[in-house]
Amino acid sequence: MICTPNNAAAKRYQYRFITAMAFYTFFLCAAVWIFPRYHPTGVLAYLLAILPALPIIGGIVVVGLYLAEEKDEFQRAILVQSMIWGIGVTLSLTTAWGFLEVFKLVPHIELYLIFPAFCAISGFASGILKARYR
Amino acid sequence: MKNRLRVLRAERNWSQADLADRLEVSRQSVNAIETGKYDPSLPLAFKLARLFETPIEAIFSDEETGLAQ
Repeated sequence: MICTPNNAAAKRYQYRFITAMAFYTFFLCAAVWIFPRYHPTGVLAYLLAILPALPIIGGIVVVGLYLAEEKDEFQRAILVQSMIWGIGVTLSLTTAWGFLEVFKLVPHIELYLIFPAFCAISGFASGILKARYR
Repeated sequence: MKNRLRVLRAERNWSQADLADRLEVSRQSVNAIETGKYDPSLPLAFKLARLFETPIEAIFSDEETGLAQ
């Protein structure tokens, strides 16, 4: 999601984030594989469906931990600025897209795609900000 | 904010990476502060002052007051 410096906090962040994404991949594959074969119902269906979201939420917590552990204030500032860009651009695009959807001018976009979009936009913003301060 | 970091570094023959190591920050952070693109927090400014054994005002100055020599 973000370009980080090469220090202990950044390495912990990378390890945790990659672990969270590995769990996400596993849980998503499991849910996609199990649903059409076993047709779970009730609470089990809800638990299985929400399983891939948990590592994503974990990823957000991992970013928060990095912000708490990173001692380099400039790197924290870059991350916060890039996330503000990510939040602003993602909210703007999804709000505009939502109204276009209301009037049937564009196809529906699944809500789970919003987080990856936020990550991509934040990552792009982080690259630009780092280049600006280089 | 203006600063004399480049001069102070040169006096000690330190590279940006040397200063970054002493401050426990990244080289990009030192460069951003040195070029005036990023203003450090008070704790980091005090750390710089201790490192260079000089008052903060001798390192940093705002645009209005000018830099102390």
